[in-house]
Amino acid sequence: MASKTSRHPKKPFHFTRILVPKPTERRFYGHGIPGVDPTKLRGKLIVVEGCDGSGRSTQIQRMVDWLESSGHATVQTGLKRSTLVSEELNQAQNGNILSHTTMSLFYATDFADQLENVIFPGLKAGRIVLADRYIYTLMARDLARGTDMDWLRNLYGMALIPDAVFYLDVSAEQRLARNFAKDFALDYWESGMDLGLSREMFDSFLKYQAMVEREFRKLQKIYNFSVVDGNRSPEEIFNELRKRMEDVMKGNPRKPGTGHDI
Amino acid sequence: MTKSFAQLGFPGRLIAVEGLDGSGKSTQIYLLKRWLEQEGIKVFFSEWNSSELVKSATSKAKKRELLSPTTFSLIHATDFADRYERQLVPLLRAGYVVLCDRYAFTAFARDTVRGCPSNWVRGIYEFAALPDLTFFFRADLEISLNRILDGRPQLKYFEAGMDLRLSSDPYESFRIFQGRILEQYLAMAPEFGFQVIDANQPIEVQQNVVRDVVVNRISLMDFHKDSTLKFPRVS
Repeated sequence: MASKTSRHPKKPFHFTRILVPKPTERRFYGHGIPGVDPTKLRGKLIVVEGCDGSGRSTQIQRMVDWLESSGHATVQTGLKRSTLVSEELNQAQNGNILSHTTMSLFYATDFADQLENVIFPGLKAGRIVLADRYIYTLMARDLARGTDMDWLRNLYGMALIPDAVFYLDVSAEQRLARNFAKDFALDYWESGMDLGLSREMFDSFLKYQAMVEREFRKLQKIYNFSVVDGNRSPEEIFNELRKRMEDVMKGNPRKPGTGHDI
Repeated sequence: MTKSFAQLGFPGRLIAVEGLDGSGKSTQIYLLKRWLEQEGIKVFFSEWNSSELVKSATSKAKKRELLSPTTFSLIHATDFADRYERQLVPLLRAGYVVLCDRYAFTAFARDTVRGCPSNWVRGIYEFAALPDLTFFFRADLEISLNRILDGRPQLKYFEAGMDLRLSSDPYESFRIFQGRILEQYLAMAPEFGFQVIDANQPIEVQQNVVRDVVVNRISLMDFHKDSTLKFPRVS
Protein backbone atom coordinates (compact mmCIF):
# COMPACT_ATOMS: atom_id res chain seq x y z
CA MET A 1 0.00 0.00 0.00
CA ALA A 2 2.72 2.43 1.01
CA SER A 3 4.58 2.00 -2.27
CA LYS A 4 1.38 2.55 -4.25
CA THR A 5 0.55 5.84 -2.53
CA SER A 6 4.11 7.05 -2.91
CA ARG A 7 3.96 6.35 -6.64
CA HIS A 8 0.66 8.27 -6.94
CA PRO A 9 0.99 10.82 -4.19
CA LYS A 10 -1.73 13.12 -5.42
CA LYS A 11 -4.43 10.57 -6.19
CA PRO A 12 -6.91 10.37 -3.27
CA PHE A 13 -8.08 6.98 -2.11
CA HIS A 14 -11.59 6.22 -3.40
CA PHE A 15 -14.19 3.74 -2.44
CA THR A 16 -17.58 2.95 -3.84
CA ARG A 17 -20.35 4.37 -1.67
CA ILE A 18 -21.76 1.58 0.45
CA LEU A 19 -25.34 0.89 -0.34
CA VAL A 20 -27.60 0.94 2.69
CA PRO A 21 -29.94 -2.02 2.24
CA LYS A 22 -33.51 -0.98 1.66
CA PRO A 23 -35.91 -2.38 4.24
CA THR A 24 -38.72 -4.58 3.00
CA GLU A 25 -41.79 -6.04 4.63
CA ARG A 26 -41.02 -8.72 7.21
CA ARG A 27 -43.26 -11.64 8.05
CA PHE A 28 -43.25 -15.07 9.59
CA TYR A 29 -44.55 -18.11 7.75
CA GLY A 30 -47.06 -18.73 10.52
CA HIS A 31 -47.43 -17.82 14.18
CA GLY A 32 -43.81 -16.76 14.47
CA ILE A 33 -42.00 -16.63 17.78
CA PRO A 34 -43.73 -15.24 20.87
CA GLY A 35 -42.54 -11.77 21.75
CA VAL A 36 -40.62 -11.12 18.52
CA ASP A 37 -41.63 -8.09 16.50
CA PRO A 38 -40.65 -8.81 12.89
CA THR A 39 -40.53 -5.11 11.96
CA LYS A 40 -37.48 -4.70 14.26
CA LEU A 41 -35.50 -7.19 12.17
CA ARG A 42 -33.81 -4.67 9.90
CA GLY A 43 -31.05 -6.71 8.27
CA LYS A 44 -31.39 -9.16 5.39
CA LEU A 45 -31.79 -12.90 5.62
CA ILE A 46 -30.30 -14.75 2.69
CA VAL A 47 -30.66 -18.52 2.55
CA VAL A 48 -28.56 -20.85 0.43
CA GLU A 49 -30.21 -24.21 -0.12
CA GLY A 50 -29.27 -27.24 -2.14
CA CYS A 51 -28.72 -30.96 -1.79
CA ASP A 52 -25.59 -32.35 -0.16
CA GLY A 53 -22.58 -31.66 -2.35
CA SER A 54 -24.19 -28.78 -4.25
CA GLY A 55 -21.36 -26.38 -3.33
CA ARG A 56 -23.20 -24.30 -0.75
CA SER A 57 -20.29 -23.68 1.60
CA THR A 58 -17.95 -22.59 -1.21
CA GLN A 59 -20.48 -20.05 -2.42
CA ILE A 60 -21.30 -18.81 1.07
CA GLN A 61 -17.62 -18.11 1.69
CA ARG A 62 -17.50 -16.04 -1.49
CA MET A 63 -20.69 -14.24 -0.54
CA VAL A 64 -19.27 -13.33 2.86
CA ASP A 65 -16.05 -12.02 1.28
CA TRP A 66 -17.95 -9.95 -1.22
CA LEU A 67 -20.48 -8.57 1.28
CA GLU A 68 -17.86 -7.64 3.84
CA SER A 69 -15.56 -5.99 1.35
CA SER A 70 -18.56 -4.02 0.11
CA GLY A 71 -19.12 -2.78 3.65
CA HIS A 72 -21.88 -5.06 4.98
CA ALA A 73 -21.60 -6.84 8.30
CA THR A 74 -22.49 -10.53 8.11
CA VAL A 75 -23.45 -13.39 10.36
CA GLN A 76 -23.42 -17.02 9.33
CA THR A 77 -25.79 -19.66 10.53
CA GLY A 78 -26.64 -23.21 9.60
CA LEU A 79 -28.10 -26.45 10.81
CA LYS A 80 -26.84 -28.37 13.82
CA ARG A 81 -24.94 -25.43 15.23
CA SER A 82 -26.92 -24.61 18.38
CA THR A 83 -25.27 -24.87 21.79
CA LEU A 84 -28.57 -26.24 22.98
CA VAL A 85 -28.79 -29.58 21.21
CA SER A 86 -26.13 -29.93 18.50
CA GLU A 87 -24.02 -32.23 20.69
CA GLU A 88 -26.98 -34.50 21.39
CA LEU A 89 -27.99 -34.45 17.73
CA ASN A 90 -24.56 -35.74 16.77
CA GLN A 91 -24.78 -38.44 19.41
CA ALA A 92 -28.18 -39.48 18.16
CA GLN A 93 -26.95 -39.64 14.59
CA ASN A 94 -23.93 -41.69 15.50
CA GLY A 95 -25.95 -44.17 17.49
CA ASN A 96 -28.85 -44.10 15.01
CA ILE A 97 -31.28 -44.46 17.88
CA LEU A 98 -33.98 -41.84 17.35
CA SER A 99 -37.02 -42.40 15.22
CA HIS A 100 -38.40 -39.98 12.64
CA THR A 101 -40.66 -37.65 14.58
CA THR A 102 -38.11 -37.41 17.37
CA MET A 103 -35.29 -36.58 14.98
CA SER A 104 -37.49 -34.08 13.21
CA LEU A 105 -38.35 -32.27 16.45
CA PHE A 106 -34.76 -32.40 17.61
CA TYR A 107 -33.71 -30.60 14.44
CA ALA A 108 -36.56 -28.14 14.87
CA THR A 109 -35.30 -27.38 18.39
CA ASP A 110 -31.84 -26.77 17.00
CA PHE A 111 -33.27 -24.52 14.31
CA ALA A 112 -35.39 -22.52 16.79
CA ASP A 113 -32.34 -21.98 18.98
CA GLN A 114 -30.34 -20.62 16.03
CA LEU A 115 -33.29 -18.52 14.95
CA GLU A 116 -33.60 -16.85 18.34
CA ASN A 117 -29.95 -16.60 19.22
CA VAL A 118 -28.19 -15.97 15.92
CA ILE A 119 -30.62 -14.95 13.19
CA PHE A 120 -32.83 -12.51 15.13
CA PRO A 121 -29.98 -10.72 16.95
CA GLY A 122 -28.10 -10.46 13.64
CA LEU A 123 -31.07 -8.98 11.82
CA LYS A 124 -31.89 -6.64 14.70
CA ALA A 125 -28.35 -5.29 14.48
CA GLY A 126 -28.85 -4.72 10.76
CA ARG A 127 -26.51 -7.45 9.58
CA ILE A 128 -26.78 -9.65 6.53
CA VAL A 129 -27.50 -13.13 7.83
CA LEU A 130 -26.33 -15.94 5.55
CA ALA A 131 -27.97 -19.24 6.30
CA ASP A 132 -26.35 -22.43 5.05
CA ARG A 133 -29.69 -24.24 4.69
CA TYR A 134 -32.93 -23.34 6.43
CA ILE A 135 -36.27 -25.00 7.12
CA TYR A 136 -36.49 -26.31 3.54
CA THR A 137 -33.72 -28.91 3.94
CA LEU A 138 -35.34 -30.08 7.17
CA MET A 139 -38.70 -30.27 5.45
CA ALA A 140 -37.37 -32.07 2.37
CA ARG A 141 -35.67 -34.72 4.51
CA ASP A 142 -38.80 -35.24 6.58
CA LEU A 143 -41.08 -35.32 3.55
CA ALA A 144 -38.87 -38.00 2.00
CA ARG A 145 -39.53 -39.99 5.20
CA GLY A 146 -43.27 -39.60 4.90
CA THR A 147 -43.91 -36.75 7.34
CA ASP A 148 -47.16 -34.87 6.86
CA MET A 149 -46.75 -31.51 5.07
CA ASP A 150 -49.37 -29.74 7.21
CA TRP A 151 -47.60 -30.87 10.35
CA LEU A 152 -44.33 -29.46 9.06
CA ARG A 153 -45.97 -26.25 7.94
CA ASN A 154 -47.39 -25.68 11.42
CA LEU A 155 -44.09 -26.54 13.07
CA TYR A 156 -42.08 -24.18 10.88
CA GLY A 157 -44.67 -21.44 11.17
CA MET A 158 -42.12 -20.13 13.68
CA ALA A 159 -39.67 -19.33 10.86
CA LEU A 160 -39.11 -15.90 9.36
CA ILE A 161 -39.66 -15.53 5.61
CA PRO A 162 -36.18 -14.88 4.17
CA ASP A 163 -35.37 -12.05 1.76
CA ALA A 164 -34.05 -14.58 -0.71
CA VAL A 165 -33.65 -18.33 -1.01
CA PHE A 166 -30.95 -19.31 -3.49
CA TYR A 167 -31.29 -22.92 -4.50
CA LEU A 168 -28.14 -24.39 -6.01
CA ASP A 169 -29.35 -26.86 -8.57
CA VAL A 170 -26.69 -29.46 -9.26
CA SER A 171 -27.10 -32.78 -11.05
CA ALA A 172 -26.94 -35.93 -8.93
CA GLU A 173 -23.84 -37.13 -10.83
CA GLN A 174 -21.95 -33.94 -10.04
CA ARG A 175 -22.93 -34.09 -6.38
CA LEU A 176 -21.85 -37.70 -6.13
CA ALA A 177 -18.50 -36.85 -7.68
CA ARG A 178 -18.02 -33.96 -5.22
CA ASN A 179 -18.92 -36.13 -2.26
CA PHE A 180 -16.26 -38.64 -3.22
CA ALA A 181 -13.71 -35.98 -3.99
CA LYS A 182 -14.22 -34.52 -0.50
CA ASP A 183 -14.47 -37.56 1.77
CA PHE A 184 -13.83 -40.64 -0.39
CA ALA A 185 -16.86 -42.05 1.41
CA LEU A 186 -20.60 -41.66 1.62
CA ASP A 187 -22.31 -40.49 4.80
CA TYR A 188 -24.84 -42.80 6.45
CA TRP A 189 -27.54 -40.12 6.73
CA GLU A 190 -26.85 -38.42 3.42
CA SER A 191 -27.32 -41.85 1.88
CA GLY A 192 -30.66 -42.28 3.68
CA MET A 193 -29.53 -45.64 5.06
CA ASP A 194 -32.16 -45.36 7.82
CA LEU A 195 -34.86 -45.79 5.16
CA GLY A 196 -33.78 -49.26 4.12
CA LEU A 197 -33.89 -48.38 0.41
CA SER A 198 -30.99 -50.63 -0.40
CA ARG A 199 -28.38 -52.52 1.55
CA GLU A 200 -25.72 -51.07 -0.66
CA MET A 201 -24.78 -47.55 0.28
CA PHE A 202 -24.11 -46.38 -3.26
CA ASP A 203 -27.56 -47.44 -4.49
CA SER A 204 -29.16 -46.05 -1.38
CA PHE A 205 -27.41 -42.71 -1.87
CA LEU A 206 -28.73 -42.37 -5.41
CA LYS A 207 -32.27 -43.38 -4.47
CA TYR A 208 -32.40 -41.23 -1.36
CA GLN A 209 -30.92 -38.14 -3.01
CA ALA A 210 -33.45 -38.48 -5.84
CA MET A 211 -36.25 -38.61 -3.27
CA VAL A 212 -34.99 -35.53 -1.45
CA GLU A 213 -34.55 -33.72 -4.75
CA ARG A 214 -38.14 -34.51 -5.68
CA GLU A 215 -39.30 -32.96 -2.40
CA PHE A 216 -37.09 -29.94 -3.02
CA ARG A 217 -38.75 -29.45 -6.40
CA LYS A 218 -42.15 -29.33 -4.73
CA LEU A 219 -40.90 -26.91 -2.07
CA GLN A 220 -39.26 -24.80 -4.75
CA LYS A 221 -42.69 -24.07 -6.20
CA ILE A 222 -44.40 -23.52 -2.86
CA TYR A 223 -41.69 -21.24 -1.47
CA ASN A 224 -40.57 -19.69 -4.75
CA PHE A 225 -36.85 -20.40 -4.54
CA SER A 226 -34.49 -18.45 -6.71
CA VAL A 227 -32.94 -21.36 -8.62
CA VAL A 228 -29.29 -21.06 -9.64
CA ASP A 229 -27.76 -23.49 -12.11
CA GLY A 230 -24.97 -25.00 -10.07
CA ASN A 231 -23.50 -27.16 -12.82
CA ARG A 232 -21.08 -24.39 -13.76
CA SER A 233 -17.75 -23.10 -12.51
CA PRO A 234 -17.75 -21.56 -9.02
CA GLU A 235 -16.97 -18.15 -10.57
CA GLU A 236 -19.93 -18.25 -12.92
CA ILE A 237 -22.24 -19.34 -10.14
CA PHE A 238 -20.99 -16.61 -7.84
CA ASN A 239 -21.39 -13.90 -10.49
CA GLU A 240 -25.04 -14.80 -10.76
CA LEU A 241 -25.48 -14.94 -6.98
CA ARG A 242 -23.84 -11.52 -6.67
CA LYS A 243 -26.29 -9.98 -9.12
CA ARG A 244 -29.19 -11.46 -7.26
CA MET A 245 -27.79 -10.29 -3.92
CA GLU A 246 -27.54 -6.76 -5.28
CA ASP A 247 -31.25 -6.92 -6.06
CA VAL A 248 -31.93 -8.04 -2.50
CA MET A 249 -29.95 -5.09 -1.13
CA LYS A 250 -31.87 -2.68 -3.29
CA GLY A 251 -35.02 -4.01 -1.75
CA ASN A 252 -36.47 -5.58 -4.85
CA PRO A 253 -35.92 -9.26 -4.28
CA ARG A 254 -37.71 -12.02 -6.06
CA LYS A 255 -40.21 -12.52 -3.25
CA PRO A 256 -39.98 -15.90 -1.60
CA GLY A 257 -43.44 -17.46 -1.41
CA THR A 258 -45.37 -17.35 1.83
CA GLY A 259 -45.74 -21.11 1.77
CA HIS A 260 -49.50 -20.93 1.64
CA ASP A 261 -50.06 -20.62 -2.08
CA ILE A 262 -50.51 -24.14 -3.30
CA MET B 1 -55.05 -35.62 18.70
CA THR B 2 -58.56 -36.68 17.86
CA LYS B 3 -58.66 -40.44 18.36
CA SER B 4 -57.69 -42.61 21.29
CA PHE B 5 -55.52 -45.70 21.03
CA ALA B 6 -58.60 -47.90 21.37
CA GLN B 7 -60.29 -46.00 18.53
CA LEU B 8 -57.20 -46.51 16.39
CA GLY B 9 -57.34 -50.25 16.96
CA PHE B 10 -54.36 -50.60 19.29
CA PRO B 11 -54.66 -53.67 21.52
CA GLY B 12 -53.16 -51.77 24.50
CA ARG B 13 -54.61 -48.90 26.54
CA LEU B 14 -53.05 -45.67 27.72
CA ILE B 15 -53.96 -43.99 30.99
CA ALA B 16 -52.59 -40.52 31.69
CA VAL B 17 -52.58 -38.40 34.82
CA GLU B 18 -52.45 -34.64 34.73
CA GLY B 19 -52.47 -31.94 37.37
CA LEU B 20 -50.39 -29.24 38.98
CA ASP B 21 -47.09 -29.95 40.69
CA GLY B 22 -48.07 -31.01 44.19
CA SER B 23 -51.55 -32.22 43.25
CA GLY B 24 -50.60 -35.75 44.30
CA LYS B 25 -51.03 -37.25 40.83
CA SER B 26 -47.70 -39.09 40.89
CA THR B 27 -48.64 -40.83 44.14
CA GLN B 28 -51.97 -41.85 42.65
CA ILE B 29 -50.54 -43.28 39.45
CA TYR B 30 -47.89 -45.11 41.45
CA LEU B 31 -50.58 -46.75 43.57
CA LEU B 32 -52.52 -47.64 40.45
CA LYS B 33 -49.42 -49.22 38.96
CA ARG B 34 -48.72 -51.27 42.10
CA TRP B 35 -52.25 -52.61 42.09
CA LEU B 36 -52.24 -53.50 38.39
CA GLU B 37 -48.90 -55.30 38.78
CA GLN B 38 -50.26 -57.29 41.71
CA GLU B 39 -53.23 -58.27 39.60
CA GLY B 40 -50.94 -59.63 36.89
CA ILE B 41 -51.71 -56.96 34.34
CA LYS B 42 -49.02 -56.11 31.77
CA VAL B 43 -48.28 -52.56 32.80
CA PHE B 44 -45.66 -50.00 31.89
CA PHE B 45 -45.02 -46.62 33.48
CA SER B 46 -43.61 -43.62 31.64
CA GLU B 47 -42.71 -40.24 33.03
CA TRP B 48 -42.68 -36.83 31.39
CA ASN B 49 -39.24 -35.57 30.37
CA SER B 50 -37.41 -38.83 30.87
CA SER B 51 -35.94 -39.94 27.56
CA GLU B 52 -32.21 -40.37 28.11
CA LEU B 53 -30.76 -38.50 25.19
CA VAL B 54 -33.14 -35.59 25.28
CA LYS B 55 -32.73 -35.40 29.04
CA SER B 56 -29.06 -34.56 28.62
CA ALA B 57 -29.94 -31.59 26.42
CA THR B 58 -32.82 -30.51 28.65
CA SER B 59 -30.93 -30.60 31.91
CA LYS B 60 -27.98 -28.76 30.40
CA ALA B 61 -30.29 -26.15 28.94
CA LYS B 62 -32.24 -25.74 32.14
CA LYS B 63 -29.13 -25.38 34.23
CA ARG B 64 -27.81 -22.67 31.97
CA GLU B 65 -31.25 -21.13 31.50
CA LEU B 66 -30.78 -21.37 27.75
CA LEU B 67 -34.39 -22.00 26.88
CA SER B 68 -36.91 -19.65 25.33
CA PRO B 69 -40.64 -20.52 25.33
CA THR B 70 -40.21 -21.91 21.82
CA THR B 71 -37.19 -24.11 22.49
CA PHE B 72 -38.66 -25.14 25.85
CA SER B 73 -41.74 -26.33 24.01
CA LEU B 74 -39.80 -28.07 21.24
CA ILE B 75 -37.35 -29.86 23.49
CA HIS B 76 -40.19 -31.32 25.53
CA ALA B 77 -42.00 -32.33 22.35
CA THR B 78 -38.80 -34.09 21.27
CA ASP B 79 -38.67 -35.94 24.56
CA PHE B 80 -42.29 -36.93 24.22
CA ALA B 81 -41.82 -38.09 20.61
CA ASP B 82 -38.84 -40.19 21.61
CA ARG B 83 -40.77 -41.99 24.34
CA TYR B 84 -43.86 -42.18 22.16
CA GLU B 85 -42.16 -43.79 19.19
CA ARG B 86 -39.75 -46.04 21.03
CA GLN B 87 -41.77 -47.13 24.05
CA LEU B 88 -45.43 -46.18 24.10
CA VAL B 89 -46.44 -47.23 20.59
CA PRO B 90 -44.57 -50.58 20.60
CA LEU B 91 -45.95 -51.46 24.06
CA LEU B 92 -49.47 -50.44 23.10
CA ARG B 93 -49.20 -52.62 20.05
CA ALA B 94 -48.08 -55.45 22.29
CA GLY B 95 -51.18 -55.08 24.43
CA TYR B 96 -49.83 -53.27 27.49
CA VAL B 97 -51.60 -50.90 29.83
CA VAL B 98 -49.34 -47.86 29.68
CA LEU B 99 -49.45 -45.35 32.52
CA CYS B 100 -48.20 -41.85 31.77
CA ASP B 101 -47.34 -39.33 34.46
CA ARG B 102 -48.25 -36.29 32.32
CA TYR B 103 -49.11 -36.37 28.64
CA ALA B 104 -49.35 -33.75 25.88
CA PHE B 105 -51.86 -31.74 27.98
CA THR B 106 -48.99 -30.67 30.21
CA ALA B 107 -47.36 -29.10 27.16
CA PHE B 108 -50.64 -27.55 26.02
CA ALA B 109 -51.04 -25.88 29.41
CA ARG B 110 -47.46 -24.83 30.14
CA ASP B 111 -46.41 -23.73 26.68
CA THR B 112 -49.55 -21.67 26.21
CA VAL B 113 -48.94 -19.94 29.53
CA ARG B 114 -45.39 -19.24 28.31
CA GLY B 115 -46.86 -17.46 25.29
CA CYS B 116 -46.59 -20.09 22.55
CA PRO B 117 -49.61 -20.02 20.22
CA SER B 118 -52.00 -22.75 21.31
CA ASN B 119 -52.63 -23.98 17.75
CA TRP B 120 -48.93 -24.29 17.10
CA VAL B 121 -48.34 -26.41 20.21
CA ARG B 122 -51.35 -28.60 19.54
CA GLY B 123 -50.31 -29.04 15.92
CA ILE B 124 -46.91 -30.34 16.97
CA TYR B 125 -48.47 -33.08 19.11
CA GLU B 126 -50.80 -34.03 16.29
CA PHE B 127 -48.74 -37.21 15.67
CA ALA B 128 -49.87 -38.61 19.03
CA ALA B 129 -53.14 -40.37 19.82
CA LEU B 130 -55.39 -39.39 22.73
CA PRO B 131 -55.12 -41.34 25.97
CA ASP B 132 -57.92 -43.84 26.50
CA LEU B 133 -58.42 -42.35 29.95
CA THR B 134 -57.08 -39.11 31.44
CA PHE B 135 -57.32 -38.33 35.13
CA PHE B 136 -57.08 -34.73 36.19
CA PHE B 137 -56.18 -34.21 39.84
CA ARG B 138 -57.82 -31.02 40.85
CA ALA B 139 -56.51 -29.58 44.09
CA ASP B 140 -56.98 -26.10 45.46
CA LEU B 141 -54.16 -23.93 44.28
CA GLU B 142 -53.08 -23.18 47.85
CA ILE B 143 -52.94 -26.87 48.75
CA SER B 144 -50.71 -27.80 45.79
CA LEU B 145 -48.53 -24.78 46.38
CA ASN B 146 -48.06 -25.64 50.03
CA ARG B 147 -47.22 -29.26 49.24
CA ILE B 148 -44.43 -28.13 46.96
CA LEU B 149 -43.26 -25.21 49.04
CA ASP B 150 -43.23 -27.20 52.30
CA GLY B 151 -41.20 -30.07 51.00
CA ARG B 152 -38.81 -28.51 48.56
CA PRO B 153 -38.11 -24.91 49.31
CA GLN B 154 -35.51 -24.53 46.52
CA LEU B 155 -37.60 -23.84 43.44
CA LYS B 156 -35.98 -24.45 40.09
CA TYR B 157 -35.88 -21.61 37.57
CA PHE B 158 -38.25 -22.98 34.92
CA GLU B 159 -40.41 -24.82 37.41
CA ALA B 160 -41.14 -21.50 39.12
CA GLY B 161 -41.83 -19.91 35.73
CA MET B 162 -39.04 -17.41 36.42
CA ASP B 163 -38.44 -17.13 32.67
CA LEU B 164 -41.81 -15.37 32.40
CA ARG B 165 -40.63 -12.52 34.62
CA LEU B 166 -43.87 -12.62 36.57
CA SER B 167 -42.11 -11.66 39.78
CA SER B 168 -38.53 -11.44 40.98
CA ASP B 169 -39.51 -13.57 43.97
CA PRO B 170 -39.43 -17.26 42.95
CA TYR B 171 -42.26 -18.16 45.35
CA GLU B 172 -44.51 -15.42 44.11
CA SER B 173 -43.61 -16.31 40.51
CA PHE B 174 -44.44 -19.96 41.17
CA ARG B 175 -47.84 -19.03 42.60
CA ILE B 176 -48.80 -16.90 39.62
CA PHE B 177 -47.44 -19.43 37.13
CA GLN B 178 -49.25 -22.40 38.69
CA GLY B 179 -52.46 -20.37 38.87
CA ARG B 180 -52.32 -19.74 35.13
CA ILE B 181 -51.59 -23.39 34.39
CA LEU B 182 -54.59 -24.39 36.48
CA GLU B 183 -56.79 -22.10 34.36
CA GLN B 184 -55.53 -23.83 31.22
CA TYR B 185 -56.21 -27.28 32.65
CA LEU B 186 -59.72 -26.33 33.67
CA ALA B 187 -60.45 -25.02 30.19
CA MET B 188 -59.20 -28.28 28.65
CA ALA B 189 -61.06 -30.59 31.04
CA PRO B 190 -64.41 -30.68 29.18
CA GLU B 191 -62.76 -30.53 25.74
CA PHE B 192 -60.70 -33.68 26.30
CA GLY B 193 -63.07 -35.42 28.70
CA PHE B 194 -60.76 -35.42 31.70
CA GLN B 195 -61.87 -37.61 34.56
CA VAL B 196 -61.65 -35.02 37.33
CA ILE B 197 -60.57 -36.27 40.75
CA ASP B 198 -60.93 -34.14 43.86
CA ALA B 199 -57.32 -34.05 44.98
CA ASN B 200 -58.12 -32.34 48.27
CA GLN B 201 -59.38 -35.67 49.63
CA PRO B 202 -57.34 -38.33 51.46
CA ILE B 203 -55.06 -40.47 49.30
CA GLU B 204 -57.12 -43.62 49.87
CA VAL B 205 -60.39 -41.94 48.91
CA GLN B 206 -58.85 -40.76 45.64
CA GLN B 207 -57.32 -44.15 44.88
CA ASN B 208 -60.70 -45.79 45.38
CA VAL B 209 -62.18 -43.51 42.76
CA VAL B 210 -59.24 -44.09 40.41
CA ARG B 211 -59.47 -47.88 40.59
CA ASP B 212 -63.21 -47.75 40.26
CA VAL B 213 -63.02 -45.66 37.08
CA VAL B 214 -60.29 -47.89 35.61
CA VAL B 215 -62.32 -51.04 36.24
CA ASN B 216 -65.36 -49.48 34.61
CA ARG B 217 -63.62 -48.00 31.62
CA ILE B 218 -61.05 -50.66 30.78
CA SER B 219 -61.66 -54.36 30.46
CA LEU B 220 -58.62 -55.29 32.54
CA MET B 221 -58.77 -59.06 31.98
CA ASP B 222 -57.79 -58.50 28.34
CA PHE B 223 -54.45 -57.20 29.55
CA HIS B 224 -53.65 -60.02 31.89
CA LYS B 225 -50.27 -61.72 31.43
CA ASP B 226 -52.03 -65.04 30.79
CA SER B 227 -54.52 -63.76 28.25
CA THR B 228 -53.76 -64.98 24.76
CA LEU B 229 -52.65 -62.07 22.70
CA LYS B 230 -53.73 -61.37 19.20
CA PHE B 231 -51.87 -58.77 17.19
CA PRO B 232 -54.47 -56.93 15.17
CA ARG B 233 -53.24 -54.67 12.43
CA VAL B 234 -53.08 -51.01 13.30
CA SER B 235 -53.92 -48.52 10.63
